[in-house]
Amino acid sequence: MASYAILDTPAEAGFDGIVQLACRLCRVPVALVSLVAGDRQWFKARQGFPPCQTDLNSSVCAYAVDHPGQLLIIPDLAADPRTSANPLVTGEPFIRFYAGAPLVSPEGHVLGSLCVIDHAPRPDGLTPQQQDDLRALAHQVVSQLELRRAIVFRDAVRADEGRAYRARDALRDTQAALTGANTDLSVALRAVVLGAMQAIPAAEGGTVEVLVGDHLEYQAVAGTLAAHAGLRMPLAGSCAGYCAQTSKPYRMTDAATDPYVKRDLIAHLQLSSAIFAPILHDGAVLGVLKLQSARPDVFSSDDLTLLNLFAGATTASLAAAETRSVLRAKDDYWRGLFNRLSEGFTIGEVIRDAEGRIADWRYVEVNPAWGALVGVDAATVAGRTIREVFPGIEDAWVTDFASVVETGQASSFTRQIGVLRRWYEGRAFPLGGDRFGVIVLEVTDRIEAEARRNALLQLGDGLRDVTSVGAMTRVAAEIVGRTLNATRAGFGRIIGDAEHVDVEPDWTAPGQVSIAGRHRLARYGNIGAGLALGEALVIDDVTTDPRTGADPHPLLAIGVAALVNMPVRERDRAVAVLIVHDVRPRVWTVEELEFLRNVADRLEAGVARVRAEELQAVLNHELAHRLKNTLAIVQSIATQTLRGVTERDLVDVFERRVLALSRAHDVLMQKSWSAAKLRAVMESVLSMQVDLGRFALDGADMDINPQAALSLSLLLHELATNALKYGALSAEAGTVRMAWRTEADGMPTLVLDWTESGGPAVTPPRGRGGFGSRLIRMGLLGTRSAALDYQPSGLRAEFRAPLADVQVQVH
Amino acid sequence: MGQVQPPVLPCVLVVEDDPILMMALVEFVENAGGEAVEVTSIPEAIQILETRTDIRTVFTDLDMRGSTAGMELALLIRDRWPPIELLMISSHPWDEAQIPARGIVLGKPFDRRRIEAALRRFTS
Repeated sequence: MASYAILDTPAEAGFDGIVQLACRLCRVPVALVSLVAGDRQWFKARQGFPPCQTDLNSSVCAYAVDHPGQLLIIPDLAADPRTSANPLVTGEPFIRFYAGAPLVSPEGHVLGSLCVIDHAPRPDGLTPQQQDDLRALAHQVVSQLELRRAIVFRDAVRADEGRAYRARDALRDTQAALTGANTDLSVALRAVVLGAMQAIPAAEGGTVEVLVGDHLEYQAVAGTLAAHAGLRMPLAGSCAGYCAQTSKPYRMTDAATDPYVKRDLIAHLQLSSAIFAPILHDGAVLGVLKLQSARPDVFSSDDLTLLNLFAGATTASLAAAETRSVLRAKDDYWRGLFNRLSEGFTIGEVIRDAEGRIADWRYVEVNPAWGALVGVDAATVAGRTIREVFPGIEDAWVTDFASVVETGQASSFTRQIGVLRRWYEGRAFPLGGDRFGVIVLEVTDRIEAEARRNALLQLGDGLRDVTSVGAMTRVAAEIVGRTLNATRAGFGRIIGDAEHVDVEPDWTAPGQVSIAGRHRLARYGNIGAGLALGEALVIDDVTTDPRTGADPHPLLAIGVAALVNMPVRERDRAVAVLIVHDVRPRVWTVEELEFLRNVADRLEAGVARVRAEELQAVLNHELAHRLKNTLAIVQSIATQTLRGVTERDLVDVFERRVLALSRAHDVLMQKSWSAAKLRAVMESVLSMQVDLGRFALDGADMDINPQAALSLSLLLHELATNALKYGALSAEAGTVRMAWRTEADGMPTLVLDWTESGGPAVTPPRGRGGFGSRLIRMGLLGTRSAALDYQPSGLRAEFRAPLADVQVQVH
Repeated sequence: MGQVQPPVLPCVLVVEDDPILMMALVEFVENAGGEAVEVTSIPEAIQILETRTDIRTVFTDLDMRGSTAGMELALLIRDRWPPIELLMISSHPWDEAQIPARGIVLGKPFDRRRIEAALRRFTS
């Protein structure tokens, strides 16, 4: 009966229509749709009968119900033993006639009856036609009931579906809100309370009671609990506490009887029933999700299950948020590192052609430092290739990284990007597949400083080795041009009051013309004024510089967009300029100008040295000429003075000693009287006497100082003279071996060995001897370390002198 | 005349502007068996060469006033009087390539042996 959900419902036209029709067809004043439920009968529709229901004691229908499938017709109720005592018969409304058709459900249950009643007995009962009608109408009532039941069922299903849909919706929204809330716990908790309340409409208030120490605190509050934020609940002695401690959902159906409820809250919170579900975090209870109502038992177990879903979603979301935040923190850490690196960092991916060869590579990612290092916006390069980003870049920037990818071997490099005029040092390493990473630092300043330092060293060497000003300026121009990566460098002599400059043969980069020759400075703008004063002329861009901007074409025509003219002084006057040109505008750095000033200074010093050397050479030459001429005059005076002397030999000896002295000077002059080659001195002096073929010279050549040269030449002259006169050289086959060596034992010493052989048998000379003999005995440099051994086979003489006294002193 | 002429010695024109050196040069010539004809300047030397035909050898100092005068004379002689032998002395280094054909240059101070040997060869 309950499934029809009809008891106590208002009258309905469908049923009312049936009873009216029954009255009319059976010609009676009363007709009822009587339904039996429990101990009463209730009339869904009635005509001519006031009470809506009666108890079953008063029921006549109860008899009809007992005869399913048959009509019950009692012509006179007062006469029938079953009803004669019925109060409805004996008293108001004094019914006398009854006919009822049972209402039988499709399942076979008798639900009640459709009955017609009269106040007078009807001995004839109902006509067969009337009976049929009554039966038919009873069917109509059942049909009507069935229809009703179907509708009620349909509505119930719809309500369930709606609720489930709402719950699902709310759950989904809540999950989205939880995800959106990320790590903000209060936002997450509020989302879950609102979501649960939406999903479970019976809830009037909701909260999450968060575990704080041994308390639970109302943190996210909504509905009837909205005013209770911050409310604290003991863990022991509350329903939420019970739920938290057991970590299980709990349904409190009635606060009045619940064993866990905190009594004093019942009135305060208007609490009658509630459901609780635990929210976990990191395996421990974080808090309890609670929904409540002021009415008892409004929450079903389905509601509790649903609530638990919300709590579970919160738990999951908190865990996910935690994971995300750990990951994000890690990611932030690395990305932060990547972004803060002062080194440029690049991830690249090679691009292969149809044959699989690597011809280029693409930027996958770069850090901001990279952008600063190459002067390119780091945000714009991802996806572009290096050849696109730096048109004209050196091939090594592709091939080197290609080989890192091909071989899997990391590679270090120091390399220039020519188009940027910048140098980089770094390391490329494989990242697997076609990818590689590169870490770079810009080292332009260091490389350029090194280049300038090397250039100055090179210049120093170059200038030292050349002996003419022209060669010097050519050396300087090339070094300057290459070092500064300029397109032209040269040296110009300032003519007059800086009106003209004569440019010497200049150095040019490939494709640039020489500007050697005379130039009138005024033709190129107002660039001569400072030069006369010894000021450097520095122009970064001839088209914008006020000195040349009015008409830059003469300069541009010879490939000059930027220039420096650095004065070179001679005796404090600018006599020349070091010229540097660039075909592109460029900013000349302080370091570059310092370098040029340095080069100019060195050129000045070099030129001054060459000039001094040239002058010295002239003086030396003149001095040598005068010395030799004077010695010739001395010879002449001596000869004339000794005209009467009969021993002409002595005059000859004298002349030849002067000659020997002069030979030493000849050798010395070749090195400006600073030093002489030992062997050259020997050859020069000995060749005076006889053919050099008679001598065997044996020893390492060395520089000796002027004193040693003069001493050696006189000594050898006397030895050779004697040998020619009395010794080995007097015979045709006689020879002399002249050997020398250095001994390092103790004080380093030069040892000369004069050994004659092949001459006539010799005997030691007697007496003191003349000048010649004394000179020989005094030895080299007057050391008196002369060992003379007159062997029969020939003279052997050994001379020793401290090496330090023989060699050139280096200061 | 009946006079016995002394044997005619080979004439050597000695060109030197320094009187003391002249003495030495003349002595070299005489020791070598020649007769010295002394002049102290280039024009004088040219004049002699133009007027005398017995000069077989010219012995000149290259270091005379006007630094290149001596060498100019030598070149002139080789050009105008090709048969004349040339002996030169110099205190300057010299460039062998500039020396006229068959000419000999010897340095200062004097190497008597070589000077006299050269003169002897030219005058014999």
